[in-house]
Amino acid sequence: MMKQLLTAVLMILFLIMVASGQELTGEDIIQKVNDTMNVDTSHAKAKMTIVTTSGSKRTFVQESWSKNKGEKNLVRYLEPRRVKDQAVLMLNNADDIWMFFPRTQRVRKLATHAKKQKMQGSDFSYEDMGSGDAFIEDYVSKRLEDEKSEGYDCYKLELTRKPESDLSYSRLIIWVIKENFVPIAIDYYDDKDPSRRVKRLVQSDIRVIDDIPTAMKSVMFDLNDNTQTELEMLEVKFNIPLDDNMFTERALKK
Amino acid sequence: MREFLLKKLAHWHSSYPGRMLLIVLLLTIVFGYFAGHLKVTMRWSDLLPSKDQRTIQFNKIIEEFVSATSLVVVVEGEEGRIKEFAETLAPRILETTNSHGNREQLFRRVDYKTEVDFLKEHGLMLIKAEDLKNLKDIFMDPNLTGLLVNLNNSMEKEYVGQEESISTREKEDGAVVFLDGIESLIEGLKSVVKGEELSESDIQGIADKLLFGESYFLSYDEKALVLNAIPNFTMMDSDLMVVGTDSVQEILDEMRVDYPDVRAGLTGMIAIGRDEMVYAEQSLGHTTLIAVLAILLLLMVSFRMWVAPVLAIANLLVGLIWAVGIAAIVVGQLNIMTQMMAVILLGLGIDFSIHIISGFTEWRAAGDSITEAMEKTFLKSGKGILTGGVTTACAFLTLSISQSRGLKEMGMATGTGLLAILLATFLFLPSLLVLRERRLDKKHEKRKDAELFVQRDISFRFLGHAAVWLSKHYVFTVLFSLLLTLMLAWFGSKITFDHNYMNIEPKGLTSIELQDVVLEKFDMSMDYALILADDVDESRELAQAYKELGSVAVTEDISLYLPSSEQQQKRIPHIVEIIEKVQATPIEEGIVWNSIPKLHEEVERLEMNIMEMQDMAYLGGQDKVDDKCKAIVGDPDKPESQNIIQELLRLLEADQAQLLGGLSSFQERFAPYFKRSVIRMASTESIKLEDLPVSILDRYSNKTREQFLVTVFPKGNIWQDAEFLHRFDDDLERVSDKATGMPPVFRALIEIIGRDGRNAVFLTLIIVFLLLLVDFRSPLYALMAMIPLACGVLWMVGLMKLTGMQITVMNIMALPMIVGIGIDDGVHIVHRWQHEGKGKVFTVFASTGKAILLTSLTTMLAFGSLVFSIWRGFGHLGAALFLGVGACFLTTVVILPGIIGFLERKNS
Repeated sequence: MMKQLLTAVLMILFLIMVASGQELTGEDIIQKVNDTMNVDTSHAKAKMTIVTTSGSKRTFVQESWSKNKGEKNLVRYLEPRRVKDQAVLMLNNADDIWMFFPRTQRVRKLATHAKKQKMQGSDFSYEDMGSGDAFIEDYVSKRLEDEKSEGYDCYKLELTRKPESDLSYSRLIIWVIKENFVPIAIDYYDDKDPSRRVKRLVQSDIRVIDDIPTAMKSVMFDLNDNTQTELEMLEVKFNIPLDDNMFTERALKK
Repeated sequence: MREFLLKKLAHWHSSYPGRMLLIVLLLTIVFGYFAGHLKVTMRWSDLLPSKDQRTIQFNKIIEEFVSATSLVVVVEGEEGRIKEFAETLAPRILETTNSHGNREQLFRRVDYKTEVDFLKEHGLMLIKAEDLKNLKDIFMDPNLTGLLVNLNNSMEKEYVGQEESISTREKEDGAVVFLDGIESLIEGLKSVVKGEELSESDIQGIADKLLFGESYFLSYDEKALVLNAIPNFTMMDSDLMVVGTDSVQEILDEMRVDYPDVRAGLTGMIAIGRDEMVYAEQSLGHTTLIAVLAILLLLMVSFRMWVAPVLAIANLLVGLIWAVGIAAIVVGQLNIMTQMMAVILLGLGIDFSIHIISGFTEWRAAGDSITEAMEKTFLKSGKGILTGGVTTACAFLTLSISQSRGLKEMGMATGTGLLAILLATFLFLPSLLVLRERRLDKKHEKRKDAELFVQRDISFRFLGHAAVWLSKHYVFTVLFSLLLTLMLAWFGSKITFDHNYMNIEPKGLTSIELQDVVLEKFDMSMDYALILADDVDESRELAQAYKELGSVAVTEDISLYLPSSEQQQKRIPHIVEIIEKVQATPIEEGIVWNSIPKLHEEVERLEMNIMEMQDMAYLGGQDKVDDKCKAIVGDPDKPESQNIIQELLRLLEADQAQLLGGLSSFQERFAPYFKRSVIRMASTESIKLEDLPVSILDRYSNKTREQFLVTVFPKGNIWQDAEFLHRFDDDLERVSDKATGMPPVFRALIEIIGRDGRNAVFLTLIIVFLLLLVDFRSPLYALMAMIPLACGVLWMVGLMKLTGMQITVMNIMALPMIVGIGIDDGVHIVHRWQHEGKGKVFTVFASTGKAILLTSLTTMLAFGSLVFSIWRGFGHLGAALFLGVGACFLTTVVILPGIIGFLERKNS
């Protein structure tokens, strides 16, 4: 009887531990985040609002396709009329970037180090948009004390850049929703000064699309420039068949 | 002792009024002498503690850097006309001399163009190695077709190699300059292809624009131009500041006849300093006059006579001369805040006279002789006047413990000034009243109708009746007052701080409004930060560190013209390559017909490159680049817009003979000049400090060339966004604690004056309580006199919130000041109640109530007159004090009858 009781208590304790996620390490959590975020293929229509250098707001509607867990990305602009059909192709996790200009019908390659730069005047860099497995390959994860963030019970992780990595941020602090492993908020720290927060990403409106929890709205705050960019998903589809030919320089013109 | 002295003084006035007037005259001459030497400063930094680093650095910069405080002329109109205007204006500014002094030249230099001569010698050495790598092709072939090929290659390489090239403000500016050069080239080619004759200098201008950019200080839209007139004086010389600004304004007014299509105005530190000073003086002069007239009228109506009020004003003016003389001795100069001391003292100083006149006329009305009436006035009103005056003066003097010079000097000037007026009131006014009464008595005796002369009772009976009612219903009175106070305190707690310095500045001044034009047209805030560096290396390091901050748009320092030797070394190989290539490239003799297709092709390619640059700029939100591209290839949203490249392409397809002639003529003059220029600017000799032209040295280094100035321009509007101001200041401080200029100075002011104001309120309350304790010798009475004050302060802040006001760096002074001012009402009522005894509520409020109503109204009129000041900061303080004084009067006549009623009921 006593033994049964002890077993029951131990099981309950184990279940509580499992439920509270105590057994998950930082590496486990970030792996799950990576699995959640980097679906094999995706297709989305999104609205992005930027602030121009003279302070006015400009909104773009874009359609994007992604393959190989974000390793290949294609963004095509739909609105406003002025940028219609302008397209950006990012390959090798945004290491190689091409741009297509419909007015001149030419395709240009941008430099590889452009991935650290702002993407089209937004507060997202090319690296932020298509970093693939960077969380796992370029950073060492450490789990911190759990916290509530944006109203969700979250795991809090600290990701420190590996010495061999050439990514832009020295470290990241990520709040991951326990329930679905969606990173609800990310703080980005300066390349040279790990104590200086330079950006903050906040995601919201989590919906399950094609069985994948998806943040429909993302806001990137640039704390240095005191600007923000909103990216709002209008439509999303995951794991759809996408031809490799879509992600070529030639296909950009189509 | 006090009674003895007052009695003695009253006796002297009654017996020897002439001698007393003589003493006053002598004192007025002495203080008048000192008053004549009082100086005025309108620098905000002079409000900070004198040992504050920001103040020290700011004053040092103003004194040592001739270019730091320039007179800026903003010229608006069509590009050609404003350039012509600048060329005419610059020499005329240099001709201005100080007609009031030794006829010395007022301005040493007028900067309105870049240092083209220096750039012609060292241009390539000033381009960063990375940019040289990308841009070097442009310099290698001086021939027209070759140049276009290289321009295209460079543009394609530019954004292929470096997408970030136009992602920062500096790079965006660089792109605009580059496009500007191309626009000029296309326009030039269009002209020659059309058969128009271009002069040698036109063609050289096109080459110069390609190589060095626009030489004039033109705005992005090319419709505004600035000239910086560098004075031979500093902002410390306020007279020259006025003369200098006025002289240039005169020239602008004269030039308006020949240039009716050009608008020109003055701004910059000198013009703003001049306007602030002149308009502050004018505006305070007007408001003082308004206040004096309004007070005079009020007193005439209230006392139903004109002589006594005129005497009161005369007494006040004498007191003001003494006050200003003492201020000259105590603080030496008036700052932005202490400039208002005259109006403040006017409002407060008149109160003493009112109490004396009020008491004296009442006793005379009661049938007392001149001597008796004067003695009673001194004994019964004199005590209250002394306590009230000394308490207010002490409260002001308490401000002298403040850290900030603004509040400290305000406290010292107004505290001593009030004591001076108090002294004048005891020494001057009574003798005047005695002389007047003697004359009246003689007049009545002569007419033998003395018995017909009856002085009228001019006490305010309605105040007495109201007080009696409130006193009888003391429970209602106290509860009602408590509720109202709580409600207003709640509103008061919601009041916010206005961080916008522009809301304090004078309204409608051209010099202030032109700052917005500069911000809009040049995307350059004139509210920049300044940092002193001890050597060129420190200057370079600071500029680099500031440039990397998110809140910073651009930095300017000597390193723009003086790269480090390491940087210069890195540039040399690229420069050598350029020299070798350009020297090896032969100059083609004219343009032959079979080279036209290639030229056409390259122009088409150029159009595509600019279009792509435009599309990228639009996606990237870089409006200036987009706008510049629109000027060349048109607006994609407006198909009808002008595309100068398409126009050139069409012209290139036209008559071959004319085409070849024009292009050949262009090529023959352009290519050799371009080649010569490139070879000349490709000097690999190391640039040293002593090689820099004087205009650059003056701009960035002090007179002894030992210290260097770094100017940091904020990215946003620091006044409309308090959070941004804080971030900018934090960023400045993170790099160096030596940063000064308006943004750090104003933020420090807000913090220091805010802290000073809070501390001063508490300390003043303690001092006032202690003084009252000594005066009344009873904590109960001291507390009783302070209750209306405490409630009055809460009412004041609540009313400020309800009337839509905010706390500003100027009106925050009203809080400690009202503690000193508002206490008088309670003191006078409690004194009179103490003197009259139980059951005399009617007499106390009808008589002393009248006096405090009049004193409050006169003070409110004086402070209220500040609302008419062009200086909005003065108006903010005036409005706050207006509400404060009114609130303290109301709390005194409402709450005190209730308390008195309660105490009388309790004691009976």
